[in-house]
Amino acid sequence: MDKSIQLSELNVGYGQTVVLNDVNISVAPGEIVCLIGANGAGKSTVLKTITGQLKKLGGVVYLDGNDKDAMTESDVAKSVSMVMTERIHPELMTCFDVVATGRYPYTGRLGFLEDSDKSAIYEAIEMVGASEIINKDFSKISDGQRQRIMLARAICQDAGVMVLDEPTSFLDLQYKLDILGVIKRMAATKNVAVLMSIHELEFVPAIADKVIGIAGDEVYVAGTPEEVLTGENLEKMYGMKPGSGDVICSGLWNYSTSIKRLL
Amino acid sequence: MDSISRRIKIGFICMSVMLVCLFFISMGVGSADISVMDIIKSLVNPGDVYMGKIIVSIRLPRIIGAIVLGGALSVSGFLLQVFFGNPIAGPYVLGISSSAKLFVALSMVFLLGRGVNISSLVLVVSAFVGSLIAMAIVMSLSQKVRSMSLLVVCGVMIGYICSAITEFVVAFADDTNIVNLHNWSLGSFSGISMDHVVVSSVIVIIAIVFTILFSKPIGAFQLGENYARNMGVNIKRIRIVLILLSSILSATVTAFAGPISFVGIAVPHIMRGIMKTAKPLVMVPACFLGGAIITLFCDGIARTAFAPTEISISAVTSVFLAPVVIYLLVARKEAARG
Repeated sequence: MDKSIQLSELNVGYGQTVVLNDVNISVAPGEIVCLIGANGAGKSTVLKTITGQLKKLGGVVYLDGNDKDAMTESDVAKSVSMVMTERIHPELMTCFDVVATGRYPYTGRLGFLEDSDKSAIYEAIEMVGASEIINKDFSKISDGQRQRIMLARAICQDAGVMVLDEPTSFLDLQYKLDILGVIKRMAATKNVAVLMSIHELEFVPAIADKVIGIAGDEVYVAGTPEEVLTGENLEKMYGMKPGSGDVICSGLWNYSTSIKRLL
Repeated sequence: MDSISRRIKIGFICMSVMLVCLFFISMGVGSADISVMDIIKSLVNPGDVYMGKIIVSIRLPRIIGAIVLGGALSVSGFLLQVFFGNPIAGPYVLGISSSAKLFVALSMVFLLGRGVNISSLVLVVSAFVGSLIAMAIVMSLSQKVRSMSLLVVCGVMIGYICSAITEFVVAFADDTNIVNLHNWSLGSFSGISMDHVVVSSVIVIIAIVFTILFSKPIGAFQLGENYARNMGVNIKRIRIVLILLSSILSATVTAFAGPISFVGIAVPHIMRGIMKTAKPLVMVPACFLGGAIITLFCDGIARTAFAPTEISISAVTSVFLAPVVIYLLVARKEAARG
């Protein structure tokens, strides 16, 4: 099966310091893969290496089978969209303007929007349910709405791969459900390969096709949510006391079954 | 959407009308007052009108110089603000203008001392080298100093150091040609010739055309480096483009009119307020027009307010624009706390 993105023996880190060794992850079109692990385990480091924010320290990133290093900046932009935790501070930009920046790789020399760009922008805004705030100043909306706009921005970039770094952190419960619902629908309808990091394990079974658990300096476990979210694995990944993983897990699976029914 | 684009249209029309009106007022007002009809006649044929020669050979270059260089200075400020991701930046407050001034003074003294005549291009090149050196210092400081306000304080200090050295250089060079340097080193359009105007217009027009051609990646850069990279912008290239364009624009201004204070930092801020957008495609022409208007207006005051004595243009721009900068610093601090 063709993979939209494949990380092959990737070493990631900051500067010369390696955080994770030998990362092998691949995501097929329409598939959602969740990265989990403790704070500082290296989830963001992997994602930032894919988006080019950090230089990789070894290995290859393949996008649709092509080595990312050999692709032009514009082709990479058409292949990978992102929603990161970093806040942007655009001046005097409406939500529409912010979403429209996702069309950058497709517009001409001076960046004027064609009708096809505009319809992609409106479609993305509708998909995240932000039509009412389209003309509001981006700097004056709530965190939850901001995250929706950033997601719409990534959607209209029309890339085969979407990378999201903790898209649900700092949001209230309903916004978490909304955002994850949109991601799930988008992956299915637009056939996008999604690679996202997430802290809220209770949402993982409802959204993930595959889960990658990071511990130590490597990928510790990979598989379906059922395979990965076990008491033993949680104890190892989050450095919990022996026995407490099973306690958490029994509750976790109950809660996530409820969430599954809502998503 | 529509209300903003209407606002932009009205803004451009109003500013164009203001600039044309100011042009004729500035041509007419001075040590000899001349009527509008005579100005138009003398522009067509200088020989026909009494005082026609004065208008065309003295006032015209000065006025075109103020328009072109004032516009260039504001665009340079806008580019620096994009580069540093902060509205509190400009060629004067970051010490870039003063460093350019120092290098121009040094090359003047050095070359005049050897009896070499200085061409306009040499002035621009020395100013450009000075700008780049100051820019390199400010950039290395910005790695260490996270706060923009603190960076501005550093920039002002760099400016003081450069101005002090310039004073030494000017004081110790007792060539009569250097006497003119004193006026220029405070910022003035009084010494500008038609030759200077032609050279600076060519440079400024080329730089502005390039800026407009790069307006798309410049706009992406406003969202921060990481998102710009994700949009397909070559970050290294756009950083170099921003540095080169902002430096060449402010260097041209300093080479011919000396350091002019606060226009580069304040005008982009005023234009954002008028246009209600920060898009480069709107901001670059708006800053050019706004900078031209404000500089022409301030130059008019500089040469007429205490006639026959002229005051430096920086004295006038400081009075009008330094309060805008203070407002920016204060407003910024509140935003950070909230």
